[in-house]
Amino acid sequence: MVSLLARFLRENRELSTLIICALISLTLLALPPAVKNAVSFVVSTPTLGPVKRVTSGATELLRVRQENTQLRRLTIELMEERSGLLACRHENDRLRELTSFLIAFEEEERFEMIPASVIGMPGGRVLEGIEIDRGLEHGITAGMPVIVSEGLVGKISRAFPGRSLIEPLTSASSAVAVTVERSRVRGIVRPRYRSAAELLSWEMDYVPARSDIQKGDRVVTSGLGGVYPPGLVVGEVTLATEGPLTMSVAVKLAVEFATTEQVFIVTGRAERDPGHDDRLDELARTLGITPGVTPGDTEDAADGELDAPGGNPTAGVGEADR
Amino acid sequence: MRMGPYVVACIVAVVLDATLAPEIEILGARPDFAVLVLVYGALLMGGRTPIISGFFMGLVADSEMPEYLGLNALALAITGYLASRLLDHLVKANIFVQCTVIAGATLLHDLIYYVVYYRNHLDLFGRFFVHEALLGAVYTAVLGAVIYAVARAANWRGVTSASHW
Repeated sequence: MVSLLARFLRENRELSTLIICALISLTLLALPPAVKNAVSFVVSTPTLGPVKRVTSGATELLRVRQENTQLRRLTIELMEERSGLLACRHENDRLRELTSFLIAFEEEERFEMIPASVIGMPGGRVLEGIEIDRGLEHGITAGMPVIVSEGLVGKISRAFPGRSLIEPLTSASSAVAVTVERSRVRGIVRPRYRSAAELLSWEMDYVPARSDIQKGDRVVTSGLGGVYPPGLVVGEVTLATEGPLTMSVAVKLAVEFATTEQVFIVTGRAERDPGHDDRLDELARTLGITPGVTPGDTEDAADGELDAPGGNPTAGVGEADR
Repeated sequence: MRMGPYVVACIVAVVLDATLAPEIEILGARPDFAVLVLVYGALLMGGRTPIISGFFMGLVADSEMPEYLGLNALALAITGYLASRLLDHLVKANIFVQCTVIAGATLLHDLIYYVVYYRNHLDLFGRFFVHEALLGAVYTAVLGAVIYAVARAANWRGVTSASHW
């Protein structure tokens, strides 16, 4: 029987090979799963393992590349969105600050103010003018004081139908009647130029010798001259030097003109409106602001009085409020 | 054809089946490089070579899916045996004969493999066989013809000698 089988296998070598292969295959198929896994591991590790590592590496590389492209695109989109949001946040902060100032100022001073946006800053190295988007048709006339939350900006020098030009404190012809908040010493702040194109500093003139002025003293408008209402912050004393007849007092302005975007034009004193206080209070509550904080000295508000805007610029002490 | 290049061809076929075939799928049909090499093994060498090579190629392919370890080996061994026996009686040099044998071998392999694979879902097997196996057989046959034509044009030694079989 065995010899018969051996003879058959010898004579049918292909068939016998197939039978052996089939028997091995069927045996493998019948193995328990754990053994199958082990055999598969042994077979695939030296054969398909390296190839799979290479192909999976290449696939991963392609995937990473695609993902990288997508992420780059997303980054650009997010950066654009972020810059938009930052601009919004900045605008929001600015508007909050302005509203806070407006509420506080109107509470104490009872001025009527018109907000305006800066649309241009003509001038070279020295800021000679600030252009705003409000003009005659909005009730703006020449001579009206212009302020921001930090303090005094200047006054309207020319008004056109839809826009106006502010003469800032940097202007060569600018002069503001001021008083030192602490000691009530009066003087006139105006710019000092080395040349026509080079502004050196602001100085407080006409200060008598031995006046009580110290570095850091706050300088506010005195109201003399009738152009600017009293109590608006102009700046602070940075240097006070004694002279034979007068003191030399250097002043640093409170307003940063280069970054000013929104301003308020003081158009006159406000009439008491019965609902006005309620509206302000409501607005303050919405913004979480405590009303009653004035931007400048409120004592002077009682002393001086804002004349009709554009009043006589030469009125008052000397060259005050030019 | 010598054994060395044939073994290399077998390894390449298994690798291509695992890597390239899914990428060049057409309407769900993939070429079967292992069957292609098997048929050309039967054409060029005959004997037990296609059976043994089929068994080992199948075993390596099965290692990808341990649950059916041995099934591909069985299917390819049977396919190799039948291809070898069939080609003993055919005009091997005829390209159409080669294509027909390749297509038939692919179908046979799929038939053996997927009957077991879909043994509990024969309706799925029928759908697969009609939609993918037939198309896959044609795909593999066309690919075989292209490779044969390229081999002849390049005057590859083992393959060109097939015209004298």
